[in-house]
Amino acid sequence: MDTLLLARLQFATTASVHFLFVAVTLGLVTLLVGMQTAWVVTGNHRWERMTRFWGQLYVINYVLGIATGIVMEFQFGLNWSGLSRYVGNVFGAPLAIETLVAFFLESTFLGMWIFGWHRLRRGVHLALLYGVAITAYASAFWIMVANSWLQNPVGYEVRDGVAHLTDFSALLTNPTLWTALGHVVSAALLTGGLLVAAISAWHLHRRTPDFALFRSSLRIGVVTAALAITLVQGFGFAQFAPVGGAQPTKFGATSPHAEELVAEWTARFGPGDYLPPVLSSFGLGFMILIGFALGLLWLFVPLLWRDWIIRLRFPLWLLMLALPLPFVALILGWIAREVGRQPWVAYGLLPVDQAVSPISPWLMGTSLIGFTLLLGTLAVTNWVLLARHAARGAADPALGRPPAQPPADDARPEPAFA
Amino acid sequence: MELAWHALLGLFFAGYLVLGGYDYGVGLLLARGADASRRRAALNAVGPFFLGNEVWLVASAGILFGAFPVLEGELLAGSYPAVLTALAGVILVTAGVQLRSRPESMRARTTWDRVIVVGSLLAALGWGVVLAGLLQGVPLHADGHVAGVTHLFTPFAAAAGLAVLALTVAHGATFLTLRLPAVEGDRLRPLARRLLRTALVAVGAAVLVGVFSDRVRAAAQRPMVGVLLAVLLVVALLTAWVALGRRRPGVAFAATSAALALPVLLVGATLWPYVLVSTVEPHASLTVTDAAASAPTLRLLGWLAVPLLPALLGFQAMCWWIFRGRIDGRAPVYW
Repeated sequence: MDTLLLARLQFATTASVHFLFVAVTLGLVTLLVGMQTAWVVTGNHRWERMTRFWGQLYVINYVLGIATGIVMEFQFGLNWSGLSRYVGNVFGAPLAIETLVAFFLESTFLGMWIFGWHRLRRGVHLALLYGVAITAYASAFWIMVANSWLQNPVGYEVRDGVAHLTDFSALLTNPTLWTALGHVVSAALLTGGLLVAAISAWHLHRRTPDFALFRSSLRIGVVTAALAITLVQGFGFAQFAPVGGAQPTKFGATSPHAEELVAEWTARFGPGDYLPPVLSSFGLGFMILIGFALGLLWLFVPLLWRDWIIRLRFPLWLLMLALPLPFVALILGWIAREVGRQPWVAYGLLPVDQAVSPISPWLMGTSLIGFTLLLGTLAVTNWVLLARHAARGAADPALGRPPAQPPADDARPEPAFA
Repeated sequence: MELAWHALLGLFFAGYLVLGGYDYGVGLLLARGADASRRRAALNAVGPFFLGNEVWLVASAGILFGAFPVLEGELLAGSYPAVLTALAGVILVTAGVQLRSRPESMRARTTWDRVIVVGSLLAALGWGVVLAGLLQGVPLHADGHVAGVTHLFTPFAAAAGLAVLALTVAHGATFLTLRLPAVEGDRLRPLARRLLRTALVAVGAAVLVGVFSDRVRAAAQRPMVGVLLAVLLVVALLTAWVALGRRRPGVAFAATSAALALPVLLVGATLWPYVLVSTVEPHASLTVTDAAASAPTLRLLGWLAVPLLPALLGFQAMCWWIFRGRIDGRAPVYW
């Protein structure tokens, strides 16, 4: 085992787990904004209960998003010190902006939102959720700016072997940025919508109380997911042209342009394998398959009429069974994008073996195993907690519980000095 | 320009040690075997601030990467075991605090509380060792890379790790005397004062070991500034101890906050104009200017920081203001 492989494995693991959680975060927060706005505008109690129930799941899911996000951020320096040394002047800027503009504010707002229930005025409380949502989207944007730069380095010049920033606006108009951003954001909406639809379907199938609440949630979820899958497909196919232009070797293509590029790299960086592993084409193929399958979500929309979707029962089953699909597709999509960039960290500029930190394989292996076990255990625990809270229903979520009310979900109440 | 970013990096990391420090201090105090309701109350005393506290670390890492990319790579990769330890701790605490009240059973909650204790321990020790590693110099070679990790295992690093650990516990206890309901807070006062005395001993020991360490003496560019700041640290702890004795928890908390911020200032000022001092090749030492990103990057980030910093600090201040004062039975309980 060499250090490079271990470092790549660790990055792949952390990034995959991270993305499963942040996609749900981004999708759910969008729906929460709608729900809480409806509550504040109409004053209808049901919207408040929906906000609390789905908000509780959102907050539980958020935990692992932060935990894996922090590991990701530090991993750049720990395992990929060459990345910061050679291209840090350019690549570091969007990452720094992301932490300050987005991550920092998002968490600050979220803390106030969780504890501001029954304490802040409704308008202020709602504004905080808007803040959380806007900064979450800002976060997605800046991360995609950074990622797109690695896919297609622009706006820099190399002096003394180090990349220097020359034109920041080129990073924002990167051809690999906008369609990918649209693709990722709509994929997150799809995941959030389908999650809401599937959990509601479970409750409607089990005929738990709260029929009205889960009926509304199901409708919101199905419509969101259907709209989102069309966007996912649209942005997905729209990516082929810009990605093909910027990264001719991405899908192992043997076009004349790609061969020319490989010849040029062989001259500049020495002989080597400059085509990505087949894994990336595999990821792409299966993702497209799932994307088409999920396009069938539109068939559920007419069934919303007169609640046929609930009365027929089997659509509820289908929704529950479809829940893993977007998560699998998310991973496959990243495999296509990231593995398809190999053997480069920054495409055509910095190969991975020059970017990896000079750390002994033993240390890297310890870090890989330790963090994989730690994050894996936490992720599974988190999903179990999510499932339990989803199953428990909207009777009394801890989030937004009035302080005077004794918690009904505690086996033994432990009032905090009440 | 580089100086401003260096100061900003210091500000955010010191802010993290002050704010995250009381998270970890409160986390460590869960080990006291207090009953379940007291443990929960302690966590909800941190409550609304918790999420806003740990992001100071995220922001420090962002500034480190954006404004000091070379330092970022060498510092983190060169202090691998210490950063790994701290990071594992940070993750355990963030997951533990936010998830511990989600299961219903008391046993599960007690288990999560142990996770928080272990996480706080690792985080405090880890960051202490990272700071010590900076102060004692690193084997930075002429090729620009730090070689090996054994350079971290010194008596000074251990003493500094323990000192930061003792500081966070004392800081956490002082925070609770300020934030818990008056009766409960007063009950914790003797404990907080005992912990402050322990912190004094630990800090004193770390300073002594540091002064007698050849590597620290060689790496320190301005030893007098370092000693002066160490004395200030001791004074801050004494102030906190006296203030708690006179039932002035606010003053005491301000003093322990200063005590957690001072180590960062001490490291930064003692090494200035360097950020990484090499123990093997004097010429390989990295100055603040060498470590900084090139001018266009700093200019871009600078324009951004001018409107952004007031907003960041303003929203944090808003959080502190909204949830100021002692918690009472009417405060939301979520963690």
